[in-house]
Amino acid sequence: MTDPARVQSTGTARTASARPSRRRWNPTHFLVFPTVGLLVAFLVFPYLNMVVMSFRNPSTSQVFAPGFTVGNYLDAILDTDLYYLEILWDTMVLGAATTAICLALGFPVAYHLARTSSRFKSVLYAFVLSPLLVGVVVRCYGWIIILGNNDGLINTTLMDLGLIDSPMTLMYNTFGVSVGLVHIFLPFMILPLLGAIQSIDPALEEAAQSLGASRLRTMLRVVFPLSLPGVQAGTVLVFVLTISSYVIPILLGGFSVMIMPTLVVQQLMDAMLWPFGAALAFILSIAGALVVYVYFRLTSRAIRGIA
Amino acid sequence: MTTAPDPSPIPNESAAARGRLQRKAGHVLYLAVVVLVYVYLLTPLVIVVLASVNAGEFLTFPPQGFSLRWYVAFFESEAFMGSLFFSLRVAFFATIISTALGVTVALYVVRFAGRWRERLRLFILLPLLLPEILTAIALLFFYYNAEALLRTLGIEVASGVFRNSVLGLLIGHVLITLPFVFLGISASLYNFDHSLEEAARSLGASRLTTFRRVTLPIIKPGIIAGALLAFIISFDLFNISLLLKGIGVATLPIQLFDYVRWEYDPTAAAVATVSIVITVIAILVTEKLVGLRSLRF
Repeated sequence: MTDPARVQSTGTARTASARPSRRRWNPTHFLVFPTVGLLVAFLVFPYLNMVVMSFRNPSTSQVFAPGFTVGNYLDAILDTDLYYLEILWDTMVLGAATTAICLALGFPVAYHLARTSSRFKSVLYAFVLSPLLVGVVVRCYGWIIILGNNDGLINTTLMDLGLIDSPMTLMYNTFGVSVGLVHIFLPFMILPLLGAIQSIDPALEEAAQSLGASRLRTMLRVVFPLSLPGVQAGTVLVFVLTISSYVIPILLGGFSVMIMPTLVVQQLMDAMLWPFGAALAFILSIAGALVVYVYFRLTSRAIRGIA
Repeated sequence: MTTAPDPSPIPNESAAARGRLQRKAGHVLYLAVVVLVYVYLLTPLVIVVLASVNAGEFLTFPPQGFSLRWYVAFFESEAFMGSLFFSLRVAFFATIISTALGVTVALYVVRFAGRWRERLRLFILLPLLLPEILTAIALLFFYYNAEALLRTLGIEVASGVFRNSVLGLLIGHVLITLPFVFLGISASLYNFDHSLEEAARSLGASRLTTFRRVTLPIIKPGIIAGALLAFIISFDLFNISLLLKGIGVATLPIQLFDYVRWEYDPTAAAVATVSIVITVIAILVTEKLVGLRSLRF
């Protein structure tokens, strides 16, 4: 930080030589204090505090009892019914499924948006962004109106047309939750893919096709491998967002689709079991981080293989 | 041999035609998927708006006629109006604070941080990288423990002074919106001709004057775009508000959440439409003032 070249370039050289005693202290450092202070006080400390909380003794009358224990973690992992581990597994499966569907739906859209010369390109881009900018509750509410089990738009319309006799169960099950999750996280998949595909030289595709490769083959053998960095970013993003999502599963799944964030909030807010809730939150975080790490290692090797 | 007509062109031609047909079918399929995904992305938003102006209790197809009765119900509902204004206030203050912090810290990171730049950048982006629900839980615990700590130190504080207060909520909103403002402003600082500032300095302008008269006007689009994005995000923020809401005060998304969980009446659609309109206004203002392209990351 006292590197003379740096000081010169920021224009403090004159001050520095005139007052050598102040050379080590640059007043611009004050610019960083408010933000770093805020983040340390209200992000770093709270997270450390949450780690401590997860090792607290449980209590029935208070939020926690004095003393420390690893029992909260053991209770969750060693539960004989495997209740918590099953919910953890369901959460991971839901995350992987949502990610896969988002990739399958997002790739054609990202490719189209990257290569289109339509004058509506910016409108299409706004369409992709639009769900991101509208609150998650509003978007879920739209799906409730459409999917509702008794009065939903799909059920009433199909019954009026006489196509079905009794309403279908479209909500409060995994189907409803998946429809909502994919809808809400799709933009997070499309945007990194778009960036990656835009950086691929279209001449490579033309070359493949002029050498006789079909469109599909060009897609699978040229475009997809070259867009792998975007695929990696998008899939990790969607997976992490899905396994930590609370509103969508609760609104479209109720308590019949139990995943870890629902369980954690239930333990904290309804049962007031803060230490146990904190332990569950960390189990989810560690499991999620492990999955992402392994995935990252595997896909990074694939990306290096191409580059 | 050379005069005999080559029999191959006919099967070749039909194979080529079949290939063309297949390619065409493939292309149509691809475009159909693209169109369907756009429909899927937009349908819930369109449906919410339709339901809000539909006369009936439930949205049916075809709709039962146009009516503004759900808007009247919304504007007459104290709970919804109260939470709308509460949300706008929280978003306003969160935007001001995170913009002020964002400008100063982006300036520092881009200009003066030196070898700490990358680490500092990552640190400021942390609230964006950590799951929002975890941050919300961590803040809830922290506020509770901070209150207990103050009490053991002999400082008398009311129960829930952080946990259930506007201040605690506001801090949470600032944490989440700060990275977005920071990204917007630092992007405009990176694409900035440094020699302009050097020229001002060498002509005798003070550091502050240079910032006020040269730097600030140039990075203004980035600041405005970042601030409006922060406003939208704070206005729609859910998890932080859910866990840190006070008793009796709720932001609009929380009020809407409580409502749609138990009631199906389209007043919620009117509320949702108003919140979509507020977002669209914020986007149009951004577009008008600085162009949406200033939202570079």
